[in-house]
Amino acid sequence: MATPDIIFYTAKVCPYAQRVEIAFQEAKADVTRYPIDLLNKPEWYAPRVNPASKVPAVVYGSTKSDPENPSPESARVTESLVLLEFVADLYPDSGLLPKDPVERARARFFIDAVSTKVFPPFIAFSFRGESPDAFIAAVAEIQELLPPAAQFAVGDHFTIADAALAPFLGRWELLLRNDLGKFEEGTGPRVYKELFQSERFARLQKYYASISSRESFKNSFDPEYLVAMAKKRLGRQ
Amino acid sequence: MATPDIIFYSAKGSPFSQRVEIAFQEAKADITKYSIDLRDKPEWYASRVNSTGMLPVVVYGSPRSDPEHPSPESAKIAESHILLEFIADLYLDSGLLPKDPVERARVRLFIDAAVTKLTAPTSAFFHGGSPDGFIAALMEIQELLPPTANFAVGDHFTIADAAIAPFLARWELRLRNDVGKFEEGTGLRVYEELFQSERFARLQKYYASISNRESFKNSFDPEYILAMDTGRLGRH
Repeated sequence: MATPDIIFYTAKVCPYAQRVEIAFQEAKADVTRYPIDLLNKPEWYAPRVNPASKVPAVVYGSTKSDPENPSPESARVTESLVLLEFVADLYPDSGLLPKDPVERARARFFIDAVSTKVFPPFIAFSFRGESPDAFIAAVAEIQELLPPAAQFAVGDHFTIADAALAPFLGRWELLLRNDLGKFEEGTGPRVYKELFQSERFARLQKYYASISSRESFKNSFDPEYLVAMAKKRLGRQ
Repeated sequence: MATPDIIFYSAKGSPFSQRVEIAFQEAKADITKYSIDLRDKPEWYASRVNSTGMLPVVVYGSPRSDPEHPSPESAKIAESHILLEFIADLYLDSGLLPKDPVERARVRLFIDAAVTKLTAPTSAFFHGGSPDGFIAALMEIQELLPPTANFAVGDHFTIADAAIAPFLARWELRLRNDVGKFEEGTGLRVYEELFQSERFARLQKYYASISNRESFKNSFDPEYILAMDTGRLGRH
């Protein structure tokens, strides 16, 4: 039987889509990518691919489909965290998830901790201009979860835990360094110095270096493009 | 090599702990369950088991004979949804998760949809808000159920069912007993809509499959839970 066809609907700007892109690259998956312009979505996208009209989305099926008109019989999978598990299931030897149940639980716990502890205070800080203190404290908690000597979130192998956090860590580094957010001018670089240069966050910085030098990350992260998009969103030049 | 021991720290009456209890029973797992009353938590729990103090937790690899002194080297796993996946990983032939990647994704998408759509409107309603959001959310969940199969993603009981059953059951119990901070009688009205009307026939059929399951019945104490919820949500 021929390998099922994978169509991956994605957008360069979207960190959730980048999670899945990283996983596909780590698995060396053969995938057809279809970029969706989130500011000008094709009218066929919601009815034919994802009723929620969001990326990332994957169409997975036995027939080779036209991305603009995929076979209705093919499966649709959405939600970046569900997709990370899906890619790990499709490529069980990629190491994206360890084989040991306890290690798998550790990877999932890391992902859950990042989502529940860090994202809300980051949004409050960057999108609403509130104090960065809660965000910095949350990042400190995540740093405590990193193994003291291993390269990645749950050991020396790159897993979906790393794929889940990398796009966000990359954007925090970029946007803070460039002072791009709804916070008061100058706050970005101040928080950047704390997280990416201070001794207190040395472990995080080492982790960020491992992540950002990974091919799958570099191939899917375009700093100039992201800065331009952030400036546009903030109404700056 | 002997299989590592499993100790399951369960909070009495908690829907999150019940999810895990159901999964262990469905897997016919041989475990030690240590039941904790949240109103009278042992003082050693936070320092020896889980520093956040929260339950459920599974300790893996510490002798079952002494749940009050788990080995510092043993693995401690928390968060009910992570525990559901952990149990599915330990008991690969239990059917708790299908083997096919697309079916596994369907299970996870059901859980994600249930949590995302239901959490806020349910809390708002039982704390005195309008039932409309709650009813609409349950209609969306009903739409996700397969038209003729027994469970959330097919004819086999999976972690999708284990995840939602404890919550559906508590809502049914509260509504039928008019327990909630809403105006008197609202619970009964909503109960009729969700558990008796034609519009929610599919949900009722699903609820019947869930609530007849041995693993559900064995882990659900309606009197205890009703007393707990009446205390928390009753109109005083």
